[in-house]
Amino acid sequence: MIKTEKVLHLKSSRGRKVRVVREHYLRERVPCFSSLCQADCEKDGKVLPGDLTHYVVPDAEVVVNYLEVLEFPELQGIVITQTACQALHSKGRRFYNRLRNLLKDPRHDCVLFANEFQEYSYCPREKGESQEKWQTRCVYAAAVWYYNHLAGLMNVVMITEDEEAVSRFSSLNSGVFVIRVQDYLQDFWPELKAAHELYSAITQVLQEKEGEDSQREFSEHLPAEVLEAGIKSGRFIQGTLNVSKHRPQNEAFITNQGLSTKNPGAEAPLRSSLVLAEPAPPPENPWEFWTHPSSRCFSASDLSSGVLVFGSKSRNRAVHGDMVVVELLPKSEWRGKVTALTERQVDEKSGDESETKAMPTGRVVGILQRNWRDYVVTFPPRDGTQSQSRNSQRILVIPWDRRIPKIRISTQQADALQDHRLVVRIDSWPSTSLYPNGHSVRVLGRARELETEVQTILMENCIHVPPFSEAQLREMPVNSPENPWTVDPAEAAERRDLRETHLVFSIDPRGCEDVDDTLSVRSLAGGKLLELGVHIADVTHFVSEGSLTDLEARSRATTYYLADRRHDMLPAVLSADLCSLLGGVDRYAMSVLWELDAQSLAVTKVWFGRTLIRSSYQLHYELAQALLNGKEAEVPELARLDPEERDTKLTELMEALEKLTHIARHLRAQRDRGGALELEGVEVRAQLDEEKNITALVPRQPLEVHETVAECMIYANHWVARKIQEVFPYQALLRRHPPPRQELFSQLVDTAQARGFAMDTRTNKALADSLDRAVDPQDPLVNRLLRMMATQAMSQAVYFSTGAQPEDQFYHYGLALDRYTHFTSPIRRYADMVVHRLLTAALQVEQGAEPAKTPAGNKDVEELAEHINNKNRAAQRAQNLSIGLFQCLFFKERDPEIDPRCVADGIIYAIRDNGVLVFIPEEANICLVCRRFLVASLLYGVKGPVYMRNKEGRVVSAGPDGTCEWQSGSVRRYTDHIITTSGSGSATFRLSGQNSGAITYLLSHPQVRISVLSTNCHADTLNLEVISNKPHRSAAPQLPSSQGRQLVQEVVRLAEEAQEKAVQRPKLPREEREFQQSKAPNLYSILEEIRELALMDLETASRVCATTA
Amino acid sequence: MAGLELLTDQGYRLDGRKATELRKVQARMGVFAQADGSAYLEQGNTKALAVIYGPHEMRGSRSRALHDRAVINCQYSMATFSTAERKRRPHGDRKSTEMSLHLKQTFEAAVMTQLFPRSQIDIYVKILQSDGGNYSVCVNAATLAVIDAGIPMRDYVCACTVGFVDETPLADLCYAEESGGVSSLALALLPRGGQIALVQMDARLHQDHLETLIEAAMTACKGVSKVLDEVVRQHLQEASVLSRE
Repeated sequence: MIKTEKVLHLKSSRGRKVRVVREHYLRERVPCFSSLCQADCEKDGKVLPGDLTHYVVPDAEVVVNYLEVLEFPELQGIVITQTACQALHSKGRRFYNRLRNLLKDPRHDCVLFANEFQEYSYCPREKGESQEKWQTRCVYAAAVWYYNHLAGLMNVVMITEDEEAVSRFSSLNSGVFVIRVQDYLQDFWPELKAAHELYSAITQVLQEKEGEDSQREFSEHLPAEVLEAGIKSGRFIQGTLNVSKHRPQNEAFITNQGLSTKNPGAEAPLRSSLVLAEPAPPPENPWEFWTHPSSRCFSASDLSSGVLVFGSKSRNRAVHGDMVVVELLPKSEWRGKVTALTERQVDEKSGDESETKAMPTGRVVGILQRNWRDYVVTFPPRDGTQSQSRNSQRILVIPWDRRIPKIRISTQQADALQDHRLVVRIDSWPSTSLYPNGHSVRVLGRARELETEVQTILMENCIHVPPFSEAQLREMPVNSPENPWTVDPAEAAERRDLRETHLVFSIDPRGCEDVDDTLSVRSLAGGKLLELGVHIADVTHFVSEGSLTDLEARSRATTYYLADRRHDMLPAVLSADLCSLLGGVDRYAMSVLWELDAQSLAVTKVWFGRTLIRSSYQLHYELAQALLNGKEAEVPELARLDPEERDTKLTELMEALEKLTHIARHLRAQRDRGGALELEGVEVRAQLDEEKNITALVPRQPLEVHETVAECMIYANHWVARKIQEVFPYQALLRRHPPPRQELFSQLVDTAQARGFAMDTRTNKALADSLDRAVDPQDPLVNRLLRMMATQAMSQAVYFSTGAQPEDQFYHYGLALDRYTHFTSPIRRYADMVVHRLLTAALQVEQGAEPAKTPAGNKDVEELAEHINNKNRAAQRAQNLSIGLFQCLFFKERDPEIDPRCVADGIIYAIRDNGVLVFIPEEANICLVCRRFLVASLLYGVKGPVYMRNKEGRVVSAGPDGTCEWQSGSVRRYTDHIITTSGSGSATFRLSGQNSGAITYLLSHPQVRISVLSTNCHADTLNLEVISNKPHRSAAPQLPSSQGRQLVQEVVRLAEEAQEKAVQRPKLPREEREFQQSKAPNLYSILEEIRELALMDLETASRVCATTA
Repeated sequence: MAGLELLTDQGYRLDGRKATELRKVQARMGVFAQADGSAYLEQGNTKALAVIYGPHEMRGSRSRALHDRAVINCQYSMATFSTAERKRRPHGDRKSTEMSLHLKQTFEAAVMTQLFPRSQIDIYVKILQSDGGNYSVCVNAATLAVIDAGIPMRDYVCACTVGFVDETPLADLCYAEESGGVSSLALALLPRGGQIALVQMDARLHQDHLETLIEAAMTACKGVSKVLDEVVRQHLQEASVLSRE
C-alpha cells in the first residue's frame, strides 16, 4: 500500500473553514468484478458478464442527475466509480441508498469500482481544479484503468454531460470512448424509448432549475446541524408527517413512536404512523379477504396526541410521509382539529365549525428525510385557462392520493395524455414555488379503465409484480407429464418418512391450490399419549437462499390478493404444485410433532424436523365440519373404494378429526385464560370457477373447524418461535403484537356506553371478557360492531428481530402468547421462509453441526423484518382499495333512486358535528355484474360518513312515517345523539321512536342509500345518504344458524377451562414448592377472600361466591 | 449531508484501508543525544516524540521513593500545533492528566522496576501531530524510547485502538473514525505472553461484542509489535556498524 495525503477544506460545526488533512491509502489490487479479468481479482458477489459489447462508466454528474436512467435493467455492464458514489452521497442519504440497493440487486448488471483506492487510477486533485473537473478526470482515469486491466478485451464507454471532457478525452485512448449521455442512448439503445423519454424529462427539469426566479413562497428550512441541536435540546420535535386524508389542504399531524421530549406540549408519546389493525389470528387460507378498518381518520382518540400542523404555510413543503422537524407554536396559537365531516367538493369552509380541544400545534422548520415515492397523477380537466399563457409545457397535475400536493411537471404530450393516469416522481420543491416540481416516468393507461385503476392501486402502494423472469423459472424443478418430478432417494434418506406411519390430511377452503399446511394426529403408547403433527410445505428446500427466486420472493414478501386477481410470491410450479401438499402424492415437509399426554394434554416432547409425507385426504372446511357433526358427507378420496373399506377409513378419519378438535379446544381454552382476544373482522371468501374467475364472494361461515385448524397453526408457530429464539437469541425473526394505547379505546368505550355496556380495556383479558359480556340479545350486530371497533383500536402486529427488542416486548397481545412467529404459510409469506431457514439452522446447531450458512445478523434480520412489514401493510392497503374499487364499479351501474339494492340498513357507530358515521354490515347481499367478472358480491363492511347537513346548509329531517328529506335547519350534536331541527316548522321532528324531534342515537339503525361519487383524478367513493330512520328490514335479524352450535362449543370450552383449572390446582404454586407452604384453605387466604368480597360490588360478589361454593 | 460512511459495502474504510489494516508506522530511535533514551514514531498522521530520563535518584520529595522498585513518572502533552485548530493548553488539562496516568500504569506493568529500587524513571511523551489513536501512539513511541534507554522490560508494550462498526472491528482508528461515533477501545498488550497491560474503553458496547473486539485489538497489537521489533533491530544494526567503525 502506498500512503498519500489528501487535503480537504471542510466546514466545522461552527461554520468556520477548517483545513483537514486525511490520509489516503492506495493499493494495487482493487477487485474489478469483471469475468474477463486477467489478473484474477477476487470475484465474490456480483460480476459483470464478459459477453457484452462494452462497459459503461458514467461520470459523477451523470450518476447524480440521471441515476434513474441508469436504473433501467436493459442497460448492462455499468461500472459505478467510487468518485461518483461519493458525489451522490453528498447529495443525500436517500439517493445514496438507492444506488446501494441497485448495486446489491443481482438482477441489475452493475458493480462498484473503488477507483480512488487503486494506485493507478487515482488522481490527486490539483491546485485550483474545480470539484467537477476533478471528478470527471477521476472517472476517466478509472475508465482507462478498466480498459487496460481487462487487457483491451472489452471496450469501455464513459458517458458524461461535460462537453469539454468529451473533446478533451475522446481521442486520448483507443479503447475508451467518451460520449454524451444522449448520444450514448441514441447510439446503443435506440429502441429503449422509455429511457429516452426519462432522459429528456430530467434534462428539462435540470434546465428549469437553473432559470428559477426567486420569489419566496415558503420560509427556508433550517440547516441540519441546527435541527439536530434543536431536537437534542427538546426545542424541536422530530416525526413523520401524516397528512389528514379528509382535510389534506390544512391538517397534518406529526407522529412518531417513543419520542420523549421534555417539551411540555408533547409529553404524551407520539404514535407511529397511522396503521391498520390486524385481527388476531393469522389468516390461514389464501382466499379469505380480511377487511380492515381502513380509515381511522374520523376517530377522535387517535389524533388526540401528536402535533398538528395547520395550513400549507406551516407545513412548509413537507409531503406526506416525510421525516420532518417541527417547532411548536406558542400556546395561544394552538388549535384543534375540525370534527365536522367535510364533503370533498368543498375546499374551505367558514370558521363556524367546532373544533376539538386545542392540541399542540407546530410548524415545520426542516426536513430530515424526504420519503418521496412514485405518484400516480392525472391531468386536470381542460378548461382553457390552464396556464396556457406563460409556459404551456408546465402543467400542474393532480395526484391520485389526496394527501399529496399537486405536482408541476413539464411535458409536450399534455394533449395526448389527457385522461390518462401516469407515474410521476417529485424532483424538488424550492422555497420559491407553491408546488413541487416533478417529471413523468411512464404512462399507466386511460383513467377509469379497470386495468389502469388496478395498476394505480399497485403503484400507489409501491407493489411491483413483474412476471417471473426466465432466469428465475429456470431455477425451478420440472414437473410435467413427460418428465414428472420424483422424490430424490438421497433426500428421502435424510428425512423422517411419515408416509406409512401417519395419517396426514389437510383442511383448506374449497378449491384451494396452495396447500401449505397439513395435520396429523394419532395415539401412541397404547393410548397414553397423543401425537399431534403439523406439517408445513418445505419451500426452502426448493428455494435456496440467495437464488433469484428467493430474491424475487423477498422483494415481494407476500402474495398479493386483490379482489379480482392475485400475484403470487413464488412461481406457480412451486406454489400450486411441488410445494403444495396435495392429496395422494409424496411431498417434502417441515414438521412439528408434539407428544401430548392423552389426559391432561400437557406436552411431553416436541420434535422438529424435515419429513416426507403423503397427504391422504384433502378436505375442505365444510366437509370436515360435516364429518365432525356426524352428517353424511362424501369424501372424494374414498368414493372409489368398496363400502367396507370405506367405512373403516372413514371412522379412522373421523376419529382423527375428533381428537384434533379436542386438542384445539384445549389449546384455545389455554390461550383464552391468558387473555386472547376474539376480534371481529368481516371476512369474505371468493369462490372460483374453472377459469379461476371469481364467481361469488360469500361470507365465511364461522365453523368450529376453522378455529381448530387455526389453533393448531398458532400452536406450531408458537413452538417454532420458542425454538428459534432459544437457539438464536439475537437474530430470530418473531412477530409481536404490542398492546394498544388506551386512548384509542375511547371511541369504543363511548359507543359501548350508549348501549349501557362497560368496557374494561386495561388488559387483553379484561377486554376479551368485557367484549364477551357486551351482547345485546335483540341486536347481534352490536357485539360485532364493538369487536370491530376494538380491532380498530389495536396496533398492528409486526415482525421483528429478537436482537432489536427487549424481551418483554416479544408479547403477542392478540393471541396472548409470549412468543410468536409465522411458520405455517411459506408459500405465500416470505417471513415464513425465513423462519424455516432459521429453524433448519437451529436444528443443525443443536446436532452440533455448523449450519450450512450462518444466519443473518440482527441488523439484517431487523432490516428484513421492516421490509416485510412494509410490504404487508402495502398488500393490505392494496387489497382494501381493490375491494373498494369493485364496490364502486358495482354501484356505478345502478341508479340509486330506483334500484332497491342500493338501499340498505346501517348502524351508527360514531357521531360528528354535522353527521354520523355508519357501518353497513354484510347482510345486504347484492349481485354485482361487472365487465367480464360475474361477481356476486356482498356489500360487506361498507363504512362511511352520512351527512345530516349538506352543502347548502340544509339538514335531514323526517316526516312522521320516518322518511327523510332535506330541509333548511340546524344540527346540534350531543355525546350520544344528534338532533336536526328543521327550520320550516317550529315543531321539531323526532326521528326515532314516537316523539317529535329529529334525533339519531348511537347504535340505532337508519336506512341508507348508497351511490357513487365519481371524480376524475381520484378513486371513486361511495356516498351514503339517510333515507329513513326506520330499518329497512326487521330490526332483529335472525340469529345466525350456527348460533346453536356456538353455544355448544362455548359450553364445551367452559367445561374445558374449568377442568383445566382443576388440573392446574394440584400443580403446586411457587410458594408451596419452595416453602412447603400450602395455598389450600388456610386462615389467611380465607380472611383475604372476605376482604376482597367486601370490596366488590354485590353482583360480582355473588358470582364469586357461586364459583367458590 | 448525511453522516460519513465508515465502512463501505466493499469493506473499505474512509482512507482506503480494510478493516484489519493498520496505518503506516514509521519510527526512529535515539533521536536526541542528551536524553537517556528517545524515539520518534509516526502512525499514519499521528506523530509522537518520547523521551526517557533515568533511572536516576528520586528528584523532588524523596519520600515518594519506593524501597523495592523504581517509581515511573509520566508526562503526556500535546504540541499547540498538533491539531487543526491551535491548542491553548499543551498539558495539564484533564485529558492529559488522565492520559499520563494511563501511560504510567501501562509502563509499571511492563518495565522491570524491581531492578531499580529507590530510583525514578521519567517518561515524557509529546504528540506533535494528532490524528487519532493518541494513546496507542504514545505507548508505542515510549516503548521504543525505553528500549533505547536500555531499561529492561518484560516485553515490548504495543498498543492499538479498535472500533466497532457494522458488527466489524476496525483496527487502528484515525481521527475521522474516532469522531464519527464509533465505540472504540484502546488496548496495550505484552505480545509474547499475550498479557494485557491496559484496556480502556468509555463507549457503550454490547457485552457480546467485547470478546471479538479484544481479539481484534490483540491481533492489531501483535502487528504493531512486529513493526517495532523491526525498528529496534534496524537501529541496533546501524548502531553496531557505527561502533565498529
